[in-house]
Amino acid sequence: MNMKAGAAPDLAWPSDVTDVPSEVFVRKDIFEEELERIFYGPYWHTVGHEAEIPNPGDFKTIDLGRVPLLVARGKDGVVRVFINACSHRQNQVETAPCGNRKGFECPYHRWTFKNDGSLAGCPGSEDFSPKFRKEDYGLKQVNMTNVFGLILVSLADNPPDIDTYLDRGKQNLEKQIGHKEGLQLLGYQKVRYGCNWKVIMDNDGYHAPLLHTGFRLLGWQSGGGEQFVRDYSAGVESQLVPGKSTGILKDSSLIEFKDSQWDAGSFVTGIFPATILVKHMDVISIRFPIVRSVDCTEIHYAYFAKGGDSEETIKHRVRQASNLLGPCGMISMEDAAIFRRIQLAAEARGTAIFQKGVKDLKSIPNQFLQNDESPNIPRWDHYRRLMGFSKKGEA
Amino acid sequence: MSSMTQEVLATIDDLQNRYIAALDGKDITAWAGTFSEQDEATYICRSAENEAMGWPIALMLDDCRARILDRITFITKIWKGTFQDYRTRHFTQRLSCEQESDTVFRVRSNFSIEYTLDPNASSTLATGLYEDVVVIEKGEARFLSKRAVYDTTVLPNYIVYPF
Ligand code: FES
Ligand SMILES: [Fe+2]
Repeated sequence: MNMKAGAAPDLAWPSDVTDVPSEVFVRKDIFEEELERIFYGPYWHTVGHEAEIPNPGDFKTIDLGRVPLLVARGKDGVVRVFINACSHRQNQVETAPCGNRKGFECPYHRWTFKNDGSLAGCPGSEDFSPKFRKEDYGLKQVNMTNVFGLILVSLADNPPDIDTYLDRGKQNLEKQIGHKEGLQLLGYQKVRYGCNWKVIMDNDGYHAPLLHTGFRLLGWQSGGGEQFVRDYSAGVESQLVPGKSTGILKDSSLIEFKDSQWDAGSFVTGIFPATILVKHMDVISIRFPIVRSVDCTEIHYAYFAKGGDSEETIKHRVRQASNLLGPCGMISMEDAAIFRRIQLAAEARGTAIFQKGVKDLKSIPNQFLQNDESPNIPRWDHYRRLMGFSKKGEA
Repeated sequence: MSSMTQEVLATIDDLQNRYIAALDGKDITAWAGTFSEQDEATYICRSAENEAMGWPIALMLDDCRARILDRITFITKIWKGTFQDYRTRHFTQRLSCEQESDTVFRVRSNFSIEYTLDPNASSTLATGLYEDVVVIEKGEARFLSKRAVYDTTVLPNYIVYPF
């Protein structure tokens, strides 16, 4: 399924590397072009983690851009990803967000599919057209790969090698979800934010100690951390050490770090275009993005425990995950509120200008401190080139 | 619901009204004040999807009195000045009330929360079911536990206030 990317929308990009034109957050034509070039293009998109569908017959549905997908574990235990459309007349096959089924039935003309996608039954096939061959009419499978259980797909025929794609990000992923006994799903928080997907991905290292009063009030100190940026992955690896408790919380057990044996670090990984994985303290979380429109991005926060966790550890992970890092989280609700305000103000089509950590206006930086916002610069430059926007004064 | 007196029902309904009046009036301390002072008092808000699938994650998980009080701190201190505020209007309808002991009642109610973020566009924030355990302490009804299970699996906005 290769969709056709069009010509680059008309946009003159400012010449200083610090500058981003806010109109990229609000222009519908740019969003449509991003769907074609990026979301349906030769890149990898996360659609799930194996632990979300642990048993044969388990499935989930999710949209990639506007394309409906069905992620299913077959009777043979193999995870496959299909277009969620019937091979007959392209009716949507599965409507539930998740569940367990022996097979899938399309109610329109009652064609049935096994949970490995193959066509099992099709009433009246003796009268079908000359081009019908049952073995050709399974659900359409899409390119997929699996990294530490994370399921990524590409609708294009020529996705890049996944290790090259993830690059340094893979090291972070291993620390976040690469536990040898695997992960177990704890559940979801799902929400729609009234902002463009790039607003979320443009979150920076500068804001963390400033916007999030929680970090200060709780006496958390961030140890020396490292930010990295590659073409398709970016992230932070740091030691977030709880400092002296300031006594602000009556129940400080909420912010205890119980599983520091595994890895004491705090890890955030962004995978291009729009996925974020977070491991802070005992929270293991994957944020699956669904880009709904130019100003609406749906996020499914999926939370996990490690395979083999004790009941007590699971309970702790559940209360920490539930209260700290989602759409109502003590140290994350503010981000969501900011995303919306950026989106609203982007209608003024001004220029966002990065400052923290910037040394030169014409070269793309590649070394960053933990609280710099300069790591966003190479990411924007990559996006700009991918979208075909040329800089003012360039051809 | 055999011997439930009108008086008891009125006390329980009054508690629910105090609860929603506190939230809609943004008096988060009064919200906490509708819960029992016992350590075991809980407030849990989670999606019907997690509930149906048996997944333990919640949106708000205050599993003891101290956590309920800490939610006041989240809202009034930690998040202060960071978010665009919104108004809410809660609507509830009691579906059932069962007496468990002299002083303990199980109450189920539908709820719907309308919210106004943009002043020209009120809409539904969440809708679902309250599952409450109410205790009568010193003649006053309080929640020993309140569970808000919302059908609105994909919420339309960030969430500041309890449901
Ligand atoms: S469209 Fe699915 S059976 Fe006909
Ligand atoms: Fe943040």
